[in-house]
Amino acid sequence: MTPLALAWRATRQYRARAVLAVVGVAVIGALLFDMLLLSRGLLVSFGRLLSAEGFDIRIVATQGFARIGIPESAALVEAVRRMPGVADTAAIAVEAGDAGVGAAHGHVTLIGRSRASASPWRIVRGADLVDSAPGAGCEAVVDGRFPSQFHADVGGSVRVLGLPGGASALPPIDCRIVGVADFGFSASGERTVAMTMDALQRALGTTHGADAQVILIASAAGADPNAIVRAVGRLRPDVRAYSNAEVVEQFNRNGFAYFRQISTVLSTLTTVFAFLLVATLLTVSVNQRLGEIAALRAVGIARHRIAAMLFWESALLVGGGALAAVPLGAALAVGLDRLLRQMPGLPDGLHFFVFERRALVVHLLVFGVTAAASAAYPAWLAARLPIAETLRREVVG
Amino acid sequence: MVVLAACLTVAMLAPSPGILISRQLAARAHLQVGDEVTLATEPQGGRTATFRVTGVYEPTPDPMRFTAERIEARLHLPDLVALAADGSDPGDAESIGRINVALTDPADTHAFAADLASSVPTVVVRPASDFRESDVFAVIDRFHVAISIVTVVGATAFLLALMLIRAEERRETVGVMRLIGISQRSLLSSVAIEGCAIAIVGAAFGIALALASERAINHYFQTRYDTALVFIRVTAAIAVRAVVVAAPLGVGAGIAASWTLLRRNVLSLFRR
Repeated sequence: MTPLALAWRATRQYRARAVLAVVGVAVIGALLFDMLLLSRGLLVSFGRLLSAEGFDIRIVATQGFARIGIPESAALVEAVRRMPGVADTAAIAVEAGDAGVGAAHGHVTLIGRSRASASPWRIVRGADLVDSAPGAGCEAVVDGRFPSQFHADVGGSVRVLGLPGGASALPPIDCRIVGVADFGFSASGERTVAMTMDALQRALGTTHGADAQVILIASAAGADPNAIVRAVGRLRPDVRAYSNAEVVEQFNRNGFAYFRQISTVLSTLTTVFAFLLVATLLTVSVNQRLGEIAALRAVGIARHRIAAMLFWESALLVGGGALAAVPLGAALAVGLDRLLRQMPGLPDGLHFFVFERRALVVHLLVFGVTAAASAAYPAWLAARLPIAETLRREVVG
Repeated sequence: MVVLAACLTVAMLAPSPGILISRQLAARAHLQVGDEVTLATEPQGGRTATFRVTGVYEPTPDPMRFTAERIEARLHLPDLVALAADGSDPGDAESIGRINVALTDPADTHAFAADLASSVPTVVVRPASDFRESDVFAVIDRFHVAISIVTVVGATAFLLALMLIRAEERRETVGVMRLIGISQRSLLSSVAIEGCAIAIVGAAFGIALALASERAINHYFQTRYDTALVFIRVTAAIAVRAVVVAAPLGVGAGIAASWTLLRRNVLSLFRR
């Protein structure tokens, strides 16, 4: 009989404890799997949101990403557009505002976009903004929840008023809704109305062009985004340019520390917990089966086969639990992600738990090592068992 | 000319206005109280003014910004306005970002905010308690509770498995006790007491471990992020909650594991 078959028999013989051990490992394993998903989830999700915008460099006024206007942004956009390796640019201004459709009205985030080939949002219905001559009618793209909240869809119109300082006595402007879009970085409770920079200027009641707070740059295929970042730095030392990779890195350093720390701490704890408990179960189980193991040795089963049997027992318990942990962890991750996404102001498209193949591989590796380590002491105990003395003690006892 | 010269002399001899700097800034720039520093509002060093360091302060720990380096200086408002206001905009020197108000009776907060908002509609008035940072920590608290529940479920399964092994070990002892007339209720009570004791000792060990590691964990993170923020605090309420959760679980696991032995025929316990 092979060590695996012996281990399988022992596991079946002590079915209740085996099932409980597998359940315990599965629950703890699910937590470990989730912590592995959490360890990079926000970063991966944030990176995907940035990539989905279609631009790989952004210019802001200061270090960090506070909404501060970039001085002389229109001139900077024109200068950047002429740089080698730049495929497209879009200047973005964000202001607080009010929107009204009939009797429905409420606070919205107004986004102004300069002339560009593409927008940093994804159109899900209707059409995108079209660059038109200054003074032309206002066209607007709204977020997915706007139509149900304001009872206005593509083809309808909305009254928009910019409120940068909190209140305004200016009359609102009328905009025609041309499309519904997915604004990756909008929060779930936030209603968004995007328009051209010219229309935003009218909504704000300003005579001079609104200063953009972000200038997005899409580099041409084959161009080095870092070279463009350096060129922008030389052109305007008073502003900051970041590639998407740098933005993700900054997010990793500043905004993500808490979840990285908690994931490291909990991953370590759950692994230690699983090791201790499986090792304890196996050790107690071996102590209970000393007579049985001595009998197996007495009938000629070699030490290494007894040790192998115990390693297989550990592998069956830990392996079964680790495999069950994957679907259980996935379900748990959905619940925990939903819970964490209740944080106010969080972008709709940002997730804390994101599946990566790397997480699955690490999960299985950690449990493989845990299974081997858990079986080491019981196997050593069983291998050095004095056969005759144990049998005599068991029989007399 | 004499008056002008006198004014210039007085101006030159007048001490620089005082500022406070954060401990982190003092350490990084090797500054100490009494040093003169030049602050600029432009990255290239334009628009400068000279100040004298009159004190070094520990920034109030802010959980929302614990990863940020607190390189800060605090100026008197007129000094900041003189340094940073846009000269081309006369209104800029009259504008400030925020006014903090402490009420004599904190219970009036919402009424005061409503009154002020209606009488000065151009400002936004919000009670400090309404700031949404508290929502973030409420969510994180719920997240921690959810993780604790998962951990407790996993631990319960293991506890049950261990109690099952332990009950199996004592099968013959239980058989003898039943044969000499000890009632099932007494046996069950003894198992429940034993389970409860194990759970309480386990919980106490956990609390002791948490207390022992509390200082080390706080020290690690406070050094890592150069902050006075307290990351872990084992309170009496948390300790009580741990024991209150652990005790019934121990009792339940003990009873469940022994139940199979107690409801069996007594001879079968001796494999007869």
